[in-house]
Amino acid sequence: MSEITTLREMRPTAPPAEEEAMRMAARERFVAGTASRRGRQPWRMPVLAGGLAAAAAATAAAVLALTSGPVAAPGQRVAAGHARTVVTAAWTVREDAGGTVTIYLRQYVDPAGLQRTLQSDGVNAIVRPIPSASRTVGKGTITYPTCNYAATDVAPQAVQRAAVTFAGQDLPVRFIIHPAAMPQPSALFLAFMAGVGRSPKNGDTGVLALPPVVLNNDTAPACVPRSKPAPFSVLPAPPSAAKAKQ
Amino acid sequence: MERTRNPERAGGQSQAEGGTVTIDTQASDADLIARSLTEPDLFTAVFDRHSAEILRYVYARLGPELADDVTAETFLAAFGCRGRYDGAWSDARPWLYGIAVRQIRRHRRVEARRLRLLRSAPADGPAEDHSDRVVERVTAERLGPRLAAVVAALPRQDRELLLLVAWAELSYAEAATALGTTASAVKARLHRVRVRMRQELGGSNPINEENDDE
Repeated sequence: MSEITTLREMRPTAPPAEEEAMRMAARERFVAGTASRRGRQPWRMPVLAGGLAAAAAATAAAVLALTSGPVAAPGQRVAAGHARTVVTAAWTVREDAGGTVTIYLRQYVDPAGLQRTLQSDGVNAIVRPIPSASRTVGKGTITYPTCNYAATDVAPQAVQRAAVTFAGQDLPVRFIIHPAAMPQPSALFLAFMAGVGRSPKNGDTGVLALPPVVLNNDTAPACVPRSKPAPFSVLPAPPSAAKAKQ
Repeated sequence: MERTRNPERAGGQSQAEGGTVTIDTQASDADLIARSLTEPDLFTAVFDRHSAEILRYVYARLGPELADDVTAETFLAAFGCRGRYDGAWSDARPWLYGIAVRQIRRHRRVEARRLRLLRSAPADGPAEDHSDRVVERVTAERLGPRLAAVVAALPRQDRELLLLVAWAELSYAEAATALGTTASAVKARLHRVRVRMRQELGGSNPINEENDDE
């Protein structure tokens, strides 16, 4: 064995999930950087109608819009062939010209703003906070959900697979939504425990979120109270997420 | 967070800012880069093809704090100078590694700290159940701290070459392209580096003389 081989064995490597999260963060920055270098409009404050602006103010999150097409008011879709991206400190929602919508989640805050933005991009989305409480355990504090979203009318696996693509296990998480694959009526349901998630390299895993699930109707599931802290089981994981667990 | 599966890597399509562009999966990097001069979105396909490898290299040299930033900066720099890409290079990896090396140079202190950590920490990553691999890992763990000290003490250019060959697993020719020199110059310099490493490791070379690199 040579020095080269020995040195190769010493190469530090990141866990696959962390590596993918870093790659996605790099990709997002690369895409944003190249967009501004192509002569398109740089980052600027959005010209958005009341709802989204109010949500942004409520969460004190700076909302910027990177536009490569017309900016739509909430509830209004942009014309085919155009795309738009709404960026907040917590999440990015990008509507692609092909009709897909990509969500990057960096922090689990502002569910109402996320829902409004997704709906304006043509995704019938229901985004809800997961109510939580904290209690002291030993020298630490745990935060746990105080209710379960007990949805029973979940769309079949084939619909889940066609409508949602998952990328990454840690923040920033990316979901690609394919609205055309969502039947009528249906809704995309997301829920997360309010909190500021951070990169796993900072050691913060103290937030809970559910991957998007397609429901067979557009009724928000009820959150059934739970009496004591329990394992985080709120909705059945969609098939692709469950497969990744194995 | 529930576990989610990894994304489908760019196959027939690459999602770029502003829409979806269709690419020929058989297209060489040179073709993609040339076409990206008029269709900038196509460069995203180059990112999707090579970013994981570049990120692994940057991570190894600079650690988790800078890996994503420096990877993004590497591809942004590549995007900015793609007009000067030599179309004779069908594989963009050596070119990208060269840019990554230059980006990494801006973080000398971070790399120095990283190498200090390597001197005191065993090699990470799971051991594989294969006798040869076990021998390699045991050797790496035994010699690791001393080898890391030697690498840290190398002149910058020697260290860059050594790590391109050892960690990026580039051939001499690819390393030469990355560093803007010739393969014969790379071979000669790497020989000097290896001699020095053996001397620094105490003169009694505990490692076989096998040359496994070209």
